Amino acid sequence: MRVASPFNLNLKDIRLIRRSSLPRWESILFSLSGLVLAFVVTGVLFTIVGVDPLAAYWAISQSFANPILLASTIERATPLLFAALGLVVAFRLNFWNIGAEGQLYMGAIAATGIVTLHLTTYPFPKVIVLPLMFVTAFLLGALYGVFPALLRAKFQVNEILSTLMLNYIAILLGNYLIYGPWQDPGSHGFPNSRIYPPEALLPSIPYIGGSSGFLIAAIASVVVYIIMNRTTFGFELKVTGDSVRASRYAGMSYTRVVALAMVLGGGLAGLAGMSFMSGIMGRMKENFSGGAGYTAIIVAWLAGLNPLVAVMAAFLFGGLLVSGDTLQITLNLSASTTNIFQALVLVFILASEFLKKYRIVWRGVG
Amino acid sequence: MEGNPRVDSSLGDYLVELRGIVKQFPGVLANDHVDFQLRRGEIHALLGENGAGKTTLMNVLYGIIKPDSGESYVKGRKVHIRSPKDAIALGIGMVHQHMKVVEPHTVVENVILGLKEPRFLLDLKEAASKVKQISERYGLKVDPFARIWQLSVGEKQRVEILKVLYRGADILIMDEPTSVLTPQETHELFSSLKTMAAEGKGVVYITHKLKEVFELSDRVTVMRKGKVVITRGTEGADERELAKLMVGREIFFHPERTARPPGKEMLVIEGLNAINDKGLPALKDVSLVVREGQILGIAGVAGNGQKELAEIIAGMRKCTSGRVSIGGADVTNKPSKFVFEKGLAYIPEERIGVGAVPTLNVAENLAVKSYRYRPFSNRGLLNREKMAASASELVKRFDIAAPSVETPALFLSGGNIQKVVLARELSGVTATEPPKVVMASYPTRGLDVGATEYVQKVLLQYRNEGCAIVIISEELDELLALSDELAVMFEGRIMGVLDRDRFDPESIGLMMAGRAAEVKGG
Amino acid sequence: MMDPSVIAQTMLVIAVEEGTVLLLAALGEIYAERSGVLNLGVEGMMAFGALMAILTMMATSSYVLAVLVAVAAGLSLSLVHAVLSIHLRTNQIVSGLAITILGLGLSGFLGRREGIIGRPIVALPDVSVPGLSAIPVIGPAFFDQNLIVYFAYALVAAMWFLLFRTRLGLNIRTVGENPAMADSLGVNVYGIRYLCTLVGGALAGLSGALITLGYYPAWTEGMTLGRGWIAIGLVILATWNPSRALLGAFLFGGVTALPNAFMSVGYQQIPSSFLQMLPYALTLVVLAAASIRGLRKKVAPPAALGLPYSREE
Repeated sequence: MRVASPFNLNLKDIRLIRRSSLPRWESILFSLSGLVLAFVVTGVLFTIVGVDPLAAYWAISQSFANPILLASTIERATPLLFAALGLVVAFRLNFWNIGAEGQLYMGAIAATGIVTLHLTTYPFPKVIVLPLMFVTAFLLGALYGVFPALLRAKFQVNEILSTLMLNYIAILLGNYLIYGPWQDPGSHGFPNSRIYPPEALLPSIPYIGGSSGFLIAAIASVVVYIIMNRTTFGFELKVTGDSVRASRYAGMSYTRVVALAMVLGGGLAGLAGMSFMSGIMGRMKENFSGGAGYTAIIVAWLAGLNPLVAVMAAFLFGGLLVSGDTLQITLNLSASTTNIFQALVLVFILASEFLKKYRIVWRGVG
Repeated sequence: MEGNPRVDSSLGDYLVELRGIVKQFPGVLANDHVDFQLRRGEIHALLGENGAGKTTLMNVLYGIIKPDSGESYVKGRKVHIRSPKDAIALGIGMVHQHMKVVEPHTVVENVILGLKEPRFLLDLKEAASKVKQISERYGLKVDPFARIWQLSVGEKQRVEILKVLYRGADILIMDEPTSVLTPQETHELFSSLKTMAAEGKGVVYITHKLKEVFELSDRVTVMRKGKVVITRGTEGADERELAKLMVGREIFFHPERTARPPGKEMLVIEGLNAINDKGLPALKDVSLVVREGQILGIAGVAGNGQKELAEIIAGMRKCTSGRVSIGGADVTNKPSKFVFEKGLAYIPEERIGVGAVPTLNVAENLAVKSYRYRPFSNRGLLNREKMAASASELVKRFDIAAPSVETPALFLSGGNIQKVVLARELSGVTATEPPKVVMASYPTRGLDVGATEYVQKVLLQYRNEGCAIVIISEELDELLALSDELAVMFEGRIMGVLDRDRFDPESIGLMMAGRAAEVKGG
Repeated sequence: MMDPSVIAQTMLVIAVEEGTVLLLAALGEIYAERSGVLNLGVEGMMAFGALMAILTMMATSSYVLAVLVAVAAGLSLSLVHAVLSIHLRTNQIVSGLAITILGLGLSGFLGRREGIIGRPIVALPDVSVPGLSAIPVIGPAFFDQNLIVYFAYALVAAMWFLLFRTRLGLNIRTVGENPAMADSLGVNVYGIRYLCTLVGGALAGLSGALITLGYYPAWTEGMTLGRGWIAIGLVILATWNPSRALLGAFLFGGVTALPNAFMSVGYQQIPSSFLQMLPYALTLVVLAAASIRGLRKKVAPPAALGLPYSREE
């Protein structure tokens, strides 16, 4: 009797039939079951280690229920949303921008640069500080994003690898600045930039608290939606993303499309970096992002590359991040516990993506 | 062996014998009771035009295709070749037109790829010396430790042949090998093949070039439409007769092809030269004129420059010299956007992937070139309503069967996808006016009878209304039925242009096979 | 001011130690990528391996067991990635990131749960090679290390040999360049990809073990410090060649020693950040070089990298 092993299983015993279409409700069902499975498995893991799963889930939910935590959730969601929006544009083009982290850093550097300039040599009129920071953060992020785009267009450089390297360079640049020329003299050698003055901070949302940056990001998501669906550029993005050859045939220039896409992508990531400074931390520190650029990839992907859904997805992820702290305080669990949950959700949804594309027909073994 | 039913001693010294091979594909009988024999020590040419059945027959021999019926005998024994592995075990090797080599590996690594032995340690030096031995014996010069990407096309082909010989093949099948070679390389290939034949190996040489048949082969088999038309010794054969047999058919004219006096010159090509993706010359001094209300058919076996010609006209490839003009405007080496703004419609060879994007819906596919112009967009903002309205109108006009204009193209049948491409191209830049020139590459390839008829009808309709149309097709019947003039391409040159009244199988066959015949008169 | 030869020696020691951690992970990743599978989960596998190694050490006081468990930890995470990427043909970037998050999460969670933060263990003892370790400056750096480091040296040679001089290696490289062709030649594409991905996971786990058992014998959260990502960059710099990975690893490892070296010579940290950028910038240059016609094939990534394979498509 032949034993089925993963190595001879692929095409002899299991027939994979590509689905031609999937009714919407089935698609949602698959995604939801992925979510449920993740909950269950995490719960089991908790139980094994002696943690009460219900208590853990209650703690996570507090990110949305408790008003103070909610404000935090909104804050942490903001950079995720900005960056994810940028990634939605890039990924739609099949340009795998892993460099959101670096572009984010460049945005933070730009913002911090303006603040440092403002506090030391050129005090700007207070009203224009914040807008100036926005603009420079966007520009610097855009420049840093266009560079790998051109490398790809002109030299066919694999963007996954190039943007990964650029991340490190940006992070190191940031470190240099806060250890060196932009270090806060009152910090006694700690790698901090100067504290942002009130005119450089994003105001809070009245009543709810939380940074108004989120509102700006939400508006940005609508803008991105409009760009992607209602402009000629958005059309070019779609066509080029689906078939580069057809886009050439239609007279579209790949270089132009990818460059524009990354101006948008890098620029939005830059805004994410700025929102870290002006919305959460109030100054630039080492490791301020906590890998937000990478988390944003997950957010964009889970949002199905839809800018409007990304708002919800970023919000949920913000809540997850906050709940990490909650779990640490209330249950003495590591903040990275939520990472396990996050990862399991991803794994199951990835698996369900496969089921959405293929139907499995088992044809007996032996 | 007396009395053994599986060995027929009447086979004599045939290396290969195929009897009564039948292979049916949907819609076409590729091999119609074909008999074929290959003797020891002979080079046997298999001559025919596109779709004659030559490659199918050899794919049967090599185990890529299973025949519906028929028998195969190799070296006197009846065999059932189920896969290339079986064929290789029997000593059969095939060198395909499109080479299967792995670029970063060395020559030796490519040659020993996939072998069972040695299982673990590779003795590359030993393999290399064996490769060197074989390459010296047959004049296939190549450095065993060179990496494939460093080699010229001719050298890459030698690697393919070495692969086959390394596995002990004594029956070689060469499928149109010279389409990628320089004359010098061709010469070297021929002498290698002759050496092999002299040693007693047998070579089946698939070609459409008469020159090669006479230069190389001992016997020639002509196939047409799935049948063997003749098998005879090459010596003393008359090339005109072979050409006629290759192409001979009755010519049927399309009923809607009415006589029409040609108008002014619309597409003018002068002295076009170009190189292909491999760096070899693809077009040599090509000149053509197409007038309003005329269809120019371009015949010729695929791979003789037709693809490059179409791409250059459409602005998707650059030429190295020469001139292309549409309606008097010079479009030489201008980007494709410019060319279609000047009135060129291009129906590309690749329907799915270039002509239409399967994941986009019908309306989007229809707008893929016109989206940047009014009224479909204004200052960068897309007007989806106008797009949808125009799409509905086009769907009606061209009778496209789709549930709605929002349906993704991948749900449409092949014929309907082609209708989408036609609808878009034939309605011009702003989706309202007809183009000046239509360049159609293999427009009915892969379509069923109904869709084919529709496409031909539409092309004729636009011709009647004054468009200048160029059709590239591998179906000679189609070209003969539709065209006012027929140009035949061979190795990047126009061998001749025939006027409608002078469509004659012999001339066409000669030109397709590489002999210049009549030049267009009058 | 310290004696320059002492500084040089300290730097070299750090270069070798840090470098070997990167090397192990990179060697594994080279195999995975050579077969066409992009594994961005190295950081998570390393973190998980580091944690499991120290946990096992605390529980059993056996280095051998600790190493084995760490390897198993990396293997199990890579198995998830393998199934997702190879059989289920999902997006390898997202899958890899998920594994990184999972690995980091698991290690943080278990580490804190078991209350081992900051608890030291006895680090792996160094074994010095007689004769060679006496060579001034480089001797102690290269030849007075723990056994895992020597294993890594041997591994470089073995993996190079396997990849370029055996049939298995030829098959692996072919699968990474042209899986369809490999398949048509009878090579088991899925099997090879699984093998290489699992090897990648195992070595990532081992590199994590080296961190906790060898150099930082007390666990804290996030102690991998992005080394897994650096290893991925190292693979590119090494142009997917195990022997070049050795050099590149010491280069990358060396630059982490720069801040301290600079400080001890009297300079502050400042310029060292730029020097630290050097390996990454160099890697970018390598990537760009691949587009130059002549160099392309010498330094290019495997053609099928990151692309799922299925027979009918």
